[in-house]
Parts: sequence; C-alpha cells; structure tokens
Amino acid sequence: MLKQRPLLIETLTAIGLIVAPFVLPHLGFAPNTVNRILVWGLFGLGFDILFGFTGLLSFGQSAFYGTGGFVAAYLLTRAGFSNVLGALIIGMIAAAATGYLIGLIALRRTGIYFAMITVAIAEVFFFVEFNPLSDFTGGENGLPGVPTPSFNLGFTTIHFTNGWSLYQFIALCYFIGVIIALRIVRSPVGAILSAIRDNPLRATAVGHNIHGYKLTAFVIAAAYAGFAGGLLGVLQAFMPPDAFTFDTSGQLVMQTAIGGRGTLFGPLVGATVWLFLQDFLQSALGLGAAWKLVLGVVFVLLVCFLRGGIVGGLVDLYGLMSGKRPRKAAETEQAEVEMPRQAPPAPMHAKEVEHPVYSGPILKATGLTKRYGGLVANSDIDFSVDHGELRGIIGPNGAGKSTFFKMLTCEVAPTSGQIMFEGRDITGLKVTEVCQLGLTKSYQVNQLFTGLTVRQNLTIAALAELRGKFRLDLFRSLAGVKGLTEQVEHTLALVNLTRRADTPVSELAYGEKRRLEIGLALATSPRLLLLDEPLAGMSPRERVETVKLLKSIARGRTMIIIDHDMDSLFELVERVTVLQEGRVLVSGTPEEIKTNAAVQEAYLGGVHGEIAA
Amino acid sequence: MTDDLIRRGLSRRGLLQTTAGLVGGSMLPAMPAFAEDKPAIGSYPAGVSGSTAFIGISVPRTGTYAVQGEDELKGYQLAIEHINEGHELIKKISPKTSKGVLGKELKFGVADSAAKPNEAVQAQQRFISENKAIMITGGTSSAVAVALNKLAQREHVLFVCGISGSNDTTGKDCVRYGVRQNFFGQTAAAAIGPVMVREFGKGKKAAYLTPDYTYGHTVTKSMQDFLATAGWTTVTNQVAPLGAPDYSSYLLNVANSGADVLINVNWGHDAVLSTQQAKQFGVLDKMKLVVPYQVPFIARETGGLMQGVYAATDYWWTIEDKFPLAKMFNEAFEKKYGYKPEWGAENAYVSFAHWAHMCEQAGSFNPPDVIKAYEKGETIPSLVGDVHYRPEDHQCIRPVIIVKGKQQKDMKNKEDWYDVVEIVPGEGLMQKPDAFGCHLGDYT
Amino acid sequence: MISWPNLVSQLFNGLALGALLALISSGLTIIYGTLGVLNLAHGAMFMIGGYAGFVTYQYTESFILAVIGGSLFVMLLGVVMERVIIRHFYHRPHEDQLLVTFGLGICFVELVRLIFSSQSQLVPPPALFQGITNLGFMFYPTYRLAVVGIVAIALGALFIILYRTRLGMIVRAGIEDSVMVDSLGINVYRVFMVVFGIGAMAAGFAGIVNAPVVSLTPGIGDDILVQTFVVVVIGGVGSFPGAILGGLIAGEIISVTSMFNPGYAYVMLFAAMTLVLVVRPHGLLGVQGRE
Repeated sequence: MLKQRPLLIETLTAIGLIVAPFVLPHLGFAPNTVNRILVWGLFGLGFDILFGFTGLLSFGQSAFYGTGGFVAAYLLTRAGFSNVLGALIIGMIAAAATGYLIGLIALRRTGIYFAMITVAIAEVFFFVEFNPLSDFTGGENGLPGVPTPSFNLGFTTIHFTNGWSLYQFIALCYFIGVIIALRIVRSPVGAILSAIRDNPLRATAVGHNIHGYKLTAFVIAAAYAGFAGGLLGVLQAFMPPDAFTFDTSGQLVMQTAIGGRGTLFGPLVGATVWLFLQDFLQSALGLGAAWKLVLGVVFVLLVCFLRGGIVGGLVDLYGLMSGKRPRKAAETEQAEVEMPRQAPPAPMHAKEVEHPVYSGPILKATGLTKRYGGLVANSDIDFSVDHGELRGIIGPNGAGKSTFFKMLTCEVAPTSGQIMFEGRDITGLKVTEVCQLGLTKSYQVNQLFTGLTVRQNLTIAALAELRGKFRLDLFRSLAGVKGLTEQVEHTLALVNLTRRADTPVSELAYGEKRRLEIGLALATSPRLLLLDEPLAGMSPRERVETVKLLKSIARGRTMIIIDHDMDSLFELVERVTVLQEGRVLVSGTPEEIKTNAAVQEAYLGGVHGEIAA
Repeated sequence: MTDDLIRRGLSRRGLLQTTAGLVGGSMLPAMPAFAEDKPAIGSYPAGVSGSTAFIGISVPRTGTYAVQGEDELKGYQLAIEHINEGHELIKKISPKTSKGVLGKELKFGVADSAAKPNEAVQAQQRFISENKAIMITGGTSSAVAVALNKLAQREHVLFVCGISGSNDTTGKDCVRYGVRQNFFGQTAAAAIGPVMVREFGKGKKAAYLTPDYTYGHTVTKSMQDFLATAGWTTVTNQVAPLGAPDYSSYLLNVANSGADVLINVNWGHDAVLSTQQAKQFGVLDKMKLVVPYQVPFIARETGGLMQGVYAATDYWWTIEDKFPLAKMFNEAFEKKYGYKPEWGAENAYVSFAHWAHMCEQAGSFNPPDVIKAYEKGETIPSLVGDVHYRPEDHQCIRPVIIVKGKQQKDMKNKEDWYDVVEIVPGEGLMQKPDAFGCHLGDYT
Repeated sequence: MISWPNLVSQLFNGLALGALLALISSGLTIIYGTLGVLNLAHGAMFMIGGYAGFVTYQYTESFILAVIGGSLFVMLLGVVMERVIIRHFYHRPHEDQLLVTFGLGICFVELVRLIFSSQSQLVPPPALFQGITNLGFMFYPTYRLAVVGIVAIALGALFIILYRTRLGMIVRAGIEDSVMVDSLGINVYRVFMVVFGIGAMAAGFAGIVNAPVVSLTPGIGDDILVQTFVVVVIGGVGSFPGAILGGLIAGEIISVTSMFNPGYAYVMLFAAMTLVLVVRPHGLLGVQGRE
C-alpha cells in the first residue's frame, strides 16, 4: 500500500479529492455526506497511526475529538474569536496537550488494560463536559452557531459557506492531513511505531524508548482528533455534545477496522461505507433502524475473515492478481545455502568507544545473584570479559545461563551484585539504555518484527544506534538518515540475507530467521554482543555456515556466546565459563574445559546428551 | 442575480489562486439560474421551483421523548394533509389558503432526532441540501430547537419550532429565522405560580427535579424566580441528565430535603420514570407534586399519579366547550388517529397553520418576506383564541392553560384526565422582549 | 450540609447498586481471567438477560420463570458465542478479540432494537416484593431491597462454584497460570466454554433481576459495561474478590457523591479509578499477570 514511490499516493489523493465533487453526486452522495466522510477520514488518519501502525487500540478517541471540537467552537461562539482556522488549530493543540496528559496515565498499561482505561477516561471527559464544564461546553445543548471559515486575502475575502464550497476547505484540510500522516509513517519514527506494534519487547531491546514513541503516537492521534472535532462544528454550524460519547469512539474503531487498519485510508473508506450504508439501507431499502445491525454484522465478518479490512483485502487481491510475492520460502533457503558465497563482506565495526582511555575488562560482574521467590537462579557470580575476547558459556539445562544473560543486558534486575560495562556501573539501568551504550544480545527464541520485511527489521535496529533512544524526527524520510542504508546493507551482507532483503519475515525459513535474529543485534553496532544459543535448532550444514558468520562478526568486537553445541563453540571461542546450578563451576580454555573432571561430572549428572557430540 | 452569486464567483477565483486548483474549486457544480426576481436565499427559490414545497421534520422517535415525538408528528401530518386538501379548519386560521401553500403541494421528510441536537442537525442538513427544504421543524427538546435555530439562521431556511420549553429558544438563542408558537418556562411559571401560591400558601419549601439542559435550567429558573416573590425557597435542585435510567439517588436527596412541594421539570419518559420512582421512595406521600410544563400522556403512563397534581400546558382537549376551532381539531384528530390530541400535536398543527397563513400573507416563500409577515404582529386565530407573534423575539403571545389531575372517580371517560382550572391570557405572562437577551440577527 | 438520614439512605442505596455491579463484574472478570478475553459484549449480555426474561414473563406471567429463562438463555448464548466465534480468536491478538466482541455487542443491541423497538419495556416486580418498605431511617422500594438479597445469593453461588468445585479450581488455577492448566491434560476448551457460559449468565441474571428496577431499553447495557470496566480495574482484573470489592466501592462512590451533586458521581468514580491505576496499577486485589 504505502510504497516508497515518491509522491504517488499524494498525487492520487489530490486527484481523488478534485474529482470527487463531479463523480460522487452521481452516486447519490450529497455534499454534506462527503464532508462528513472527510471529517471522519481525518479523525481516522491519526487513529490509524495509533492503532494500525502502533498497535494501540484506544476506545477513547472521543475525548480528544470533543476537546478539540469544543475548544474551537467555544472560541468561535462564546469568546468572540473570529478566525476559524486559528480556532481549529488552537483546538488541535488543546487536544494534543490533553492527549499527552492522558497518555501518561493510559500508557502505563498495555493491551486490554489500555483499552479499558481509554474507555473509562473518555467517559470522564463526557461527564466533565456535561457537568463541571457545562458553562463552557453548553452541556446537553452543545454549542450552536459555529461560523464557517473565511479568509481575507487583502484584495478579496473567500467564504466557504456550505455544501461543495465548504468541501473545498475540508478537502484541503484532509489533504494536508494525509501529507503529514504519510511523512510520519515514512519517517524513522513511523518505522519504529510499526516495530512497537510487532514486537515491543525487541523494539525496547534494540535501544528504542518505546514509551516515548507510544506517547508520540497517542499525541498525534489526539491532535488529528482535535482538528477533526473542530471541523465537525464548522460543518454542522453546531458542536454537538454527542461528540464526547463512547459511540463516537466506537464508530471510529469500527470504520477503521472495516476500511482497513494500517492503511491510513482505511478510516476514510470505512466512513464512506458506513455513511453510504446508513443512507442506502435506511432510505433506499427502507430498513429503518436495522441499518446498524447490518453494519455490525459486516464488521464482525470482516474482523473474522478479512483482518486487513476492505483496503487490506484489495491490496491482497492486487498482490494475488499481479502474481507478486510467490511463496517460496523453503526452497530458496536451500538454494541459497548451496550457493558459494561471494566475496565476504568487510567486517562491520563496532560503535566508536566513547572513553578510549579505559583499558580494563569490557564487562565485569561481581556477586551477581538473582532470586525468584525462594528459587535461586543465579548465585554470587563473578565474571569478567576482556576487550576483544570471545567467551563461551556452557552449562546443563537449568544452570541459569539465560537468567545470567538477562541480567547482563539489564532485562531483569539482579537481586544483588554489580555489573560494570567499560568501567561504568550499569546495574539497574534499562535494557534500552544499555543497548545504547553498546551492549545487546540476540535471543534464544527468535524475537523478530514478524510483520515486516528483513530490511525493515534491520532498519529498525540500525535506527536505534544512529538516532539514539528517542528522537522526534517526524518529518525526516528514512532515506535522510545518514549512514542508515550503508549500515543496513552491510548487516544484510554479513548475515547473508541480501537476496532476501524484501521478503517478509513470516516467509523466511528457520535458519534465515536465526541469522536475522543475530543481524538485529548486530545492526545496533554493539561493542559487546551476547548470543543466546545462536545455533539452536539448526541443521549441521547451517551450523557450519553460522559459525563462519560468527567468526566474521567477531573481528573487532567482544562476544559472549551461550550454546549447547560444544564442538562448534569450542572451535569459536577462546575461553569458556561453565555454569552449574546458578554458580560458576569453572573457567578456562576449551582444552582445559574438555578435560576438566568437574565439568564431565556436571554433564553426566545432567540429562543433556550433547556433550557426547 | 445578485450579491450572493457574485460572492460565490469571487470565492471561486480566490480559491484557485490559493490552492492552485488543488481541490477543484473552479469546477463546482453550477448554480441553477432562476427566473424569479427575488434574490436566491437559502433553499429559495430552488425548493419551490416545481409544483411542490418540501418540509424537513425531525422529531424524536426513539429515546426518552419518543412518545411525545410520535404525537407531535401526527399533528404535523394532519396539518399537511389539511393544508394540501384545503380543509375548513385551516381556512379558519389561514383564510387565503385554497389548496397547498401558494398553490404548491406540501411534501415532507421525517427523521428521528432521538432528542439529540446532533442527529437533528445532521438530518435537517440533509433535508436542506438534498430536498431543498423550504421550511424545517422539530423539537421536543429545546437543545434540538436551539441547535436548529442556529442552523436555520446560517442556512437561511425558516425554522418553525416544535415543542420547546426553554426561555432561550426565543431568548438569548433566538434567531431571525426561527419562530415559536408554544408556551415556555417564563409563561408557564407566571401562569402556574399564582395558582400554587393560592393553593399551597406563601413561604413554602420547594424541591426541584431538573433535566440538565436549556429547557430544564430555564424552566426551573423561572419557577424559582416567580415563587421567590411569594417567599418560597429552594431546598434542593436535583439536576439529572436526559434519559437517566434511575432516579433513586436524586429522590433520596429530595426525600431527605424537608420540602413541601416537589416541582418535577423532567419531561417525556424521564418525567414518567421519576414520578413513578418518587412514589416508590415515598416522596409523593411526603410532599405535593407540581408539573410546571405538562408532559403529554403522563397521566396515562404514570397510572394515576397525576391525581390532584397541578400542571401548566399549551392545550387540553376539554377546552373545546369554549373554543369552536379546538372542537374541530379534536374531531379531525380523533377521527384520523383514534384518540384525543395532546398539546404536542396541537402545537404542531397550529404552528404549521400559522406558517401557511404567513406565506399566503407574504405572497411568497421568500424567507425574509415570510419572516416580515410574522413580524407584522397581526392578530390571528389559534385553537385557544386569538394570538399574535411578537416581532422583537418571534414568540407567539398565547394563553397558558392550568390543569389539575382528576380523581379517578370523577373521570367521565378514559381520556378525561384533567380539570381545566384556568386559562391565563398570554399578554400578562410575557417577559419584556429584551429580558432574555434576544438579538434576532440579519434577514440575509 | 451533610444530612445524616440522607447519608445513611445513600449508603444503603449504594450497597444495592454496588451489589449489582459486583455480580456483573464477576462475570466479566472470570471470563477474562480464565480465557484471557475481554468480552466487550458483556453489557449486551446484561441487556439480553433483561429482554429474555421479559419475553418469558410475557408468556408465563411468572417472575421466577422469567429469571430462570433470562439467565439460561444468556448462558446458552454465551456458550454458542464461545463455540462459534470466540474460540477462533484465542490465538489472535488482543485487539482482534476486542474488535470482535465489540462488534458482537453492537449486533446484539441492534437485533434487540429491531425486534422490540427502542421503546422501553417494563417487567413488573413479583407480587411478593411490590410496595414500599419502611426501614425506619428511610422508605425503600421493597423490590430493590429484595434485589440486594437476590444478588448476594447469586454471588454466594458463584463463590461456591469457584472455590468449592473442581471446575472452580481449574478456573482459579487458570487465572494464576494459564500455561500450567494447559499442561494438566484437562480439556481446556470445554472448560473455556463452560466458563464463558457462567460469566455470561452472571450478566444475564443481573439483567433480568434489575429489569423491574429500571425500564428495559436496548442501550441499557452500554453504560453498565463502562462501569463494569471501572469496577474491574479498581478491583483487579481476573480477581473475583476484587470484582466484589470494586463493585461495592463503585456503588458507594456513586451514591455518596450523588448526595452532594449527582452530576459529579461518575466523575468521582473515574477519578477513583485513575487513582487506583497510579497507586496500584494491578488493582486493589489484582496480581501481576496477564495484560
């Protein structure tokens, strides 16, 4: 849908908006209906950024729609403010500010809690509008008498009165709204928002402050809602109290889902279907009140069977017809592995070290302990890794290896103990901050952005390194991020996925996903890379490939690797630390470990058989 | 053609310059040209260029005012039928009428407003833009009436108000393009207040149940102001949202307030429910009930709880003994619908008849001319005697009827719910024209 | 200007409201706790319970049969809904579950509107409970008084099911740790279906019991749903005791605020919810678990 062809969608939108007044009347659309659709469409642009792109389903958008609408209408009807556009913008700012405050509360939780909280907060606004603020909002009366916009250009004054005349104004607003929304979803922030939708955990782990970005999306949605609310008042000459009701939020959600989430134009399509059916079923078929039942059934069916809504369905259909994207995951993988590798890519360098004077161990953990209730996962671990070292960690299942890694990357806080990274105490920092410092890991179980392509996955990781954990470059295009393309291409080459760059993750073979998993960690240019079982689940041939890959990554970088495949591991690393029952059993070179009696004992005592391999 | 078109022309050119044709401003669907010499305004003359004229009607058919809305609609339908056929009763009110209005047959569209301004405004905007409605009507909620007032003024289409009891409708929210026939908060209070003081005495304590919108606020205010002159005090004013599902907490506050009289300003189903629950919570045994703005069918729906209760109303059918036009109306209505009309239907019928009269007087549908006909303040007939519209605020000056609920044993038939206590002439009830801050606005 | 008789009256009225909210919320919360699905059609279940009871009453003129008919119908509806639709959404994202239950709620409301119109319908209270009771400090409609008792019995029955039966054990275990239940070798889907039915029935039962108190309209469940959310958020999602505590707190907040200004009742209710969210994000009796 949103291909990166420059200005194509913008041009099509403009053409559509210009043609609409000539075509739609013949289809039975009155100008007022069209204007109403555009207001819903504009309202939905922001909501789609929040729901479709960021994955936050809010049932409380009416709060912002109403806030923007009533602030604008109040200024225009009661406060003697005469500049309509100015009032709309002030309304929008008020809604955005409200959105910021509400976001601080609502975004404390995710998923179902978030949905419930937004419903409840929207209801608060409804009751506040009706009671404490009824002197300003007119309560049940609403605010009648909202004027239409006019612009004094010096030599003449333009009035947008009603019908198609007002359409020009609203269509222009919608067009600007579309342009801004497109810029946002194509910006680095837009890419990160989709990452949050797909996998918030990994988006955090690669070094993005997702709370900040979620709040950003929330505020953007509120701003769109506020402006649309103001337009509603202008359109109707009346700011209705109903703008604040739960029904308004519900209608927006339904229209977006019907039209297609994550498409920006879905809400517009949904609103068209909604208002058309409302008209058509009521007047043409004489169904009266049953129209909403029909819509409800349509909605349920779409949610059940066509998750992408109408626009999503059309895009899929187009894809199917044009024969693009043939599914060929497994075979390609085979072929690719067989193929001799072209000239190996140059090693990728780690991020510049900030304090070159520091020359001690890159990582030093002392007395690291983690308890879960009565269960001790790690107990009093002392651990140190030098610059440029390749360290292996082995241990039977349940030895606490993964917990140990999670503490090192600050995913879980240790119960006691201290972690120093490059001489800096990182105990208690957040995983995002640690990643920004240059320490990250690849996961034992793939944590990919499954809805995106390989290239997009790596882009998101690389953005964290290039832009820091939070930055509001909403209007910068991805291409404008310096060094991004190079870094993504380089990582693609390193993990041997260049040929699969534009394949969606869901179509990758398992081995490719594993390589991408490593690539995600790598794209953040860490100085210390932790790999949690990078070889797990791979065929012997894939293992050979991956070991080669790891070797090439290791140049100029410190790495710690957990794995059960000791042959591969011992070939790769310089030193090995053995964990058992949450403690360090022994450390030494691979040779020493192989012959260590205690290690033999630990493994024979365990159930894992791979020691024999 | 005049200013209007010139302005449109300019706006087109200006838009082209600003948006570089982005939105297609230059190619707007063309305005039809008219042969009339009057300037086009609102839906005139487009709406009456054929052999018919269209009226947009929005009444609540669902929600808390649905019962009253349906009744009101019956009054509109009967009036349109009578106007189109040139019925005798219409001719009594509008002598120049032969068939239709100015020879045009009336057509109408009905939309459900659910007593919500937003629904009403959306529906009427459709009627205006798609059906070229020449007149719009609707009400049964003053919030709707006020919103439609403003819409009418902006769209330059006459709004003949349906049931609306708020002082604001022809007060601070009055418009040039709106007129109202029925009684309202101020006249209700001025009419029923003296009866209450006479009946219950001076210096009493009153509790109010008020719906939370312009109608409730202004009626309660008018009652409080009037009764204060007789030394009455307000011990509690319970303001509830429209369509509240349960009045228990409001009524507990009333029950514990120590009031002598409960003044229930709620309307529609809210009035029925709150009155029934007032009985359940023992409130009606402790204090007297008064309904200052009578609710059609409340006596039947509350099942006898109106016995002995005073109410002010626009119309009660038993006045037909005194007013022959009322008798004609009752007969025509009962013949068509099988029951005696209540005041919602009466107001609907009379306001349409008055509109037909004004159009005939003006000799044109041109809104400014019709408005000026209203503003002449000519004395015209209604079902309750002669009335006239006040030019300063477009409010009809008409009597208010005070009724008292009959005891069951005194009812002569199943619709004989009330005794007419008094018919209070309108002139003495009205506030000064500028008392509620009315500024009518422009004709164009 | 606190009047003590009024405060006592309002506190009592709050208890009645709170008990009803507690019952509806329990249904919502056990469904969520066990299945991980937030049923946005729960308000519609409440409404349908009222209408199903109303129809039963029309045919039988018996209030008891109306209560039984209303509850069983909604339970059946819940079971069918789970089998036909909800089941396919366990492995889809939360947003889809929310969307589909929201859509189903709209369908139910509009279907009822189509059949019964928007006019309100009345179910008279049973003859036994008609009239007014003088409690000494206040007059109170006898039926409302009876509702408190009926709801208390229903909550007691739910308690027994949840804490004294094998099914209840599984449900409570599922709330604590759904993975563990999966590994018990129980037919999880059958349990899910039964739980959905019971949860829906709690709402349906409340709907018909409440019908004589307020008149029935198709939209009656919408406001209740939102209040139920507040109750659940205050009490803690997935917690049965939390739902009861939350329900009573919500009822009292609404009533006591109403004493001063009924218009602020819901504002205060939501303010309380926000406070709980800030101070105890998982609710008063909730545990950190599912999101």
